[in-house]
Amino acid sequence: MKRKLLHIIVCVLLFYSFSFAQAALEIIRKADDLMRGKSSFAQITMTIIKPDWQRKMTMKAWSLEPDYSILYISEPARDKGTVTLKRGNEVWNWLPSVRKVIKIPPSMMLQSWMGSDFTNDDLVRASSIVKDYTHTLLGREVYEDYECYKIQLIPKPEAGVVWAKVIAWISVKGFLELKIDYYDEDGLLVKSFLGSIVKSFGDRRLPSHWEMIPHDNPGNKTILDYDELKFNISVNTDFFSLQNMKRVH
Amino acid sequence: MELFLHLAWRNLWRNKRRTIISTSSVFFAVLLALIMRSMQNGSYDYMIQSSVGLYLGYIQIHGEGYWEKRSLDQSIEVRSDKLESFTLLPNITHVVPRIEAFALLSKGLSTKIAQIVGIDPSKEDGMTGLAKRIYAGRYLQEKDTGILLGSGLAKSLGLHCGDSVVIYGQGYHGVTAAANVPVIGILKLPIPDLDNMMSYLTLKHAQWLFDATGRMTSVAFMISSQAELENTRSQLKRIAGEHMEVMTWQEMTPELVQSIQADSAGGILMLLILYIVIGFGIFGTIMMMTNERTREFGVLISVGMKRWKLITITVMETILISLLGACAGMIVGIPILWYLYLHPIPLTGEAAAAMYAYGLEPILPFSIAPGIFIAQTMIVFGLAVICAVYPLLIIRKLKPVEALRS
Repeated sequence: MKRKLLHIIVCVLLFYSFSFAQAALEIIRKADDLMRGKSSFAQITMTIIKPDWQRKMTMKAWSLEPDYSILYISEPARDKGTVTLKRGNEVWNWLPSVRKVIKIPPSMMLQSWMGSDFTNDDLVRASSIVKDYTHTLLGREVYEDYECYKIQLIPKPEAGVVWAKVIAWISVKGFLELKIDYYDEDGLLVKSFLGSIVKSFGDRRLPSHWEMIPHDNPGNKTILDYDELKFNISVNTDFFSLQNMKRVH
Repeated sequence: MELFLHLAWRNLWRNKRRTIISTSSVFFAVLLALIMRSMQNGSYDYMIQSSVGLYLGYIQIHGEGYWEKRSLDQSIEVRSDKLESFTLLPNITHVVPRIEAFALLSKGLSTKIAQIVGIDPSKEDGMTGLAKRIYAGRYLQEKDTGILLGSGLAKSLGLHCGDSVVIYGQGYHGVTAAANVPVIGILKLPIPDLDNMMSYLTLKHAQWLFDATGRMTSVAFMISSQAELENTRSQLKRIAGEHMEVMTWQEMTPELVQSIQADSAGGILMLLILYIVIGFGIFGTIMMMTNERTREFGVLISVGMKRWKLITITVMETILISLLGACAGMIVGIPILWYLYLHPIPLTGEAAAAMYAYGLEPILPFSIAPGIFIAQTMIVFGLAVICAVYPLLIIRKLKPVEALRS
């Protein structure tokens, strides 16, 4: 009798933890779908903030999940027309001033992109937060007036993710990714990605103001403001070709 | 006392041959130690000078934090009158401004990462002899907008003189730096790492490319000698002003310091072996001399000579011999070293080939730093005086009867 009871308790516990994991995965999947869509177009203002200077750039971005994207810089004048193309693991740049396409070699992948706190690798990697991690629901927490799920993501060993742990705060209502903390192997908080100013883009409501804060470089920050965002636009892989990157504008 | 000295002096010349043998053992010891140390120090100085002369310089000034981050954002504005004021400092022989950044070089489909250095062509050549390294094309001139490439870099990109290459990187404050420039010269740089990495533009052109007008990342200094390093560094620190770091080559390349230290440790070991050989040589002659004179000592003590007087005289003799030998060694050593300093020994064979490969003249240089003369002469003199303890012990325990019979 006793043994049977124990058996039941174990089963219930297992079921519970399983369903927690299941719930966490579901939340992440919903949030991710909301953010990405199959394809998208965005108009973004990027502000790079360093301790002693700052710089503003505007750009247009097209993407076709999961492998393709194009970024076109429209301001400032000196950089206008520069295009970054991501195809799978490769990053290419089109430099209108010298009329040349350059493939970024692997050794440059960890360099900053356009002087921001993003690296070339960040553009390419964008590992799937759905597929590459195991998820655990840690509980609920209020963040910036939003009731949020707090979810821990541990990368799967084969995923090749540089982080040891990621914690995400996703709002209960609307599944908005509001805060994501990235930790390294030593358990140190390396960077945070914060979303705020929720706006309607078409039929979706999403944060329009994103701040990327690298904690190892105090005083540095990169801000992304989405001025326009459209989902499921009609583009195909041909759009993301080396030929087309010279033509987009 | 004067009497003792007088007696000791007379004793020396009583047996000229004996004195000359002992004196010359000290003389050769001093000469050998001098030549050895002078050669060692000379080659360290040469090693330092040629290593730092390749690129780094003895001292560099950067913006605060540049050495760690190596970013154009830590570049500094140094006005030309300030650069001039550096040249006026004593001991400073070269002042070389540079702007350095990493960027991509691309030709066709191949792209390589390269170190781009913006230089003042004549100042750079004055310090590093860059113009001599040209092996195709020509060296940069003040108004050029072309690029010089290390031969390894040029080869891996398939570039020749007259081709054009695209530079793409990030300029000051993250702006895009992109330009299409002609290759005007190819350099054969002595160190493979440099040969595969380095490319040179004029300072003005690089400042324009990186959108950093009037800015530089470092100012390198050559000084007249390693001995003036700390002194010059503190002078520079005073002039440089706030938010600048003034670094010596030791701080910039700890590896070089270590390799010199390792080499120097070997040199000191050799020197110790030399001292041991020298010490026993002197000891041998003094022991022989003392044994030869046992009978004489015996007679003197038996006729009533006080032992301490005898000891004093013998010690004085040894000191005089050492002094004579040391002075002679120095007098002969100075012109020899001076000659070798002015005419370093040329090397041949494999050693020469290795030095050529590093872009150095294959020579064995000598140093004539006064410290060497003082230290080596004092050490050998000290060794000789220590050897004087032997006759002292003998005389103290001498039994006149036995001594007379010997």
